[in-house]
Amino acid sequence: MKVPPRAQLLLFLVSLSSRMGLSRYIEVKTLSRDVSHLSVCFLYILGCLDMLSTEGSFTFVASRPQLACATFVIAEPSEVIGLELSDVNIDCRAGDFIKMFDGWVLKGEKFPSSQDHPLASHQRYTDYCSSSAAGSSSRSSQNVAMVFFRIHGEDSGFTLTVKKLHNPFPCNIMSQSPEGSFTMVMPHQRRNCSFSIIYPVEIRLTELSLGQAKSNELIPQRKVWSACSGSGDYVELLGGNGVDTSHMFPVADLCFSLSGLAQMKIGCDNSVVRLVSSGNYINRVSFQYRLLDRDTLPKAPENSLDNFCSVE
Amino acid sequence: MKLNLLGTTVILLVAFLPRYECRAIESPGSALRIPAPQNQNSQQLSGPILERLGEEYFIRLGNGDSNSIPATSSMYPGGPSSIFNRALQLQLTRRLLQGKVGNIRELIGDLADHGDESMERGRRSEEPPISLDLTFHLLREMMEMSKAEQLAQQAQNNRRMMELFGK
Repeated sequence: MKVPPRAQLLLFLVSLSSRMGLSRYIEVKTLSRDVSHLSVCFLYILGCLDMLSTEGSFTFVASRPQLACATFVIAEPSEVIGLELSDVNIDCRAGDFIKMFDGWVLKGEKFPSSQDHPLASHQRYTDYCSSSAAGSSSRSSQNVAMVFFRIHGEDSGFTLTVKKLHNPFPCNIMSQSPEGSFTMVMPHQRRNCSFSIIYPVEIRLTELSLGQAKSNELIPQRKVWSACSGSGDYVELLGGNGVDTSHMFPVADLCFSLSGLAQMKIGCDNSVVRLVSSGNYINRVSFQYRLLDRDTLPKAPENSLDNFCSVE
Repeated sequence: MKLNLLGTTVILLVAFLPRYECRAIESPGSALRIPAPQNQNSQQLSGPILERLGEEYFIRLGNGDSNSIPATSSMYPGGPSSIFNRALQLQLTRRLLQGKVGNIRELIGDLADHGDESMERGRRSEEPPISLDLTFHLLREMMEMSKAEQLAQQAQNNRRMMELFGK
């Protein structure tokens, strides 16, 4: 049977993307073994303050003493980040350090918060100087990671290799853009998951499914709670001016499955959709979000004593 | 028939090939983001490429050959000029960030000096960890720059792939 060229091309693309479980990008790296004259390995220079969202190797060389440096790393929501240090040339005894953190730290606040992260705070740090073997690689639990480093000596430095790994059930996500959509699924896991958007946004919940029982047992009648905190599984919308969700203000919560639309404007620096799961059910929440323009920001009431960003 | 058989064989081989481990290429001196030139003998790179050199962002345009406009133009409706303008905007933001970073370094210098101490305290209690006093505005700017960088790299990869399929 003659296979048309278009079908061959489609089969080729599908076979490449299926290897990674991704449907958006196709790695050219795989092709490079066939086409030797093409090199897709990039070398980047890393700055003292930097943000990385691509895979690759990034080299930092200190031209002068750099005492306070940090690299933010962010991936797609359905990815986690693998970090690896190599060619490390620092003097730990002189006070140099390289520490990888599982999450982001900003103004003393951590994302994910201590309540939402599976590891204790001290376990989220990987210190190269404490153990050069174990401290040279790290893998994040969510789509963000961070590297802190301090280097005194000139021409000292290191190479940081970033790899992205697929995460089938993402939990605790930092959005890279102020607009988009996402579906968070928590299957029978006792975890609290947050989707953080560091912009003032309008959030529309398009689907909410809470409390799907494991078996076909009768679902007991629920009491009507004034707040969702006692119902076990719920979704809450948070707003605040930091990255720590435990320090943010709850602006709304939903305890029951939703078939229609629910939307809210959150005029805060950080807007969060948080799914609280007891582990007894399969929970699912879908939402869309878009950036709020200045003229569409909810107006805070005048003479208000509330230390809270505007919500509508 | 033979061509179809060959194409199917290539597809199956590629599907089962082990992943190519991308390793850092050692090079003397400073390391640059170097998309491999198509012609090894030529130092010219076709099309606008967003590059980073140290703390600087700049656009390196190609040899001016209009036939070498890359697929990146499809990512930006305005064409290469919009990419160039966007890169200039990002460069300006980058310089502003550098200016602010200088102030930030002064602010967090003390914190970094006590970083080890705070780490020890962190193990015993929930004291604030090593941190940056970075505003959300700066963080958003950095995210935007990294996103643009990601799109540029993806566009470059797509261009190479389309050239490969076209051969």
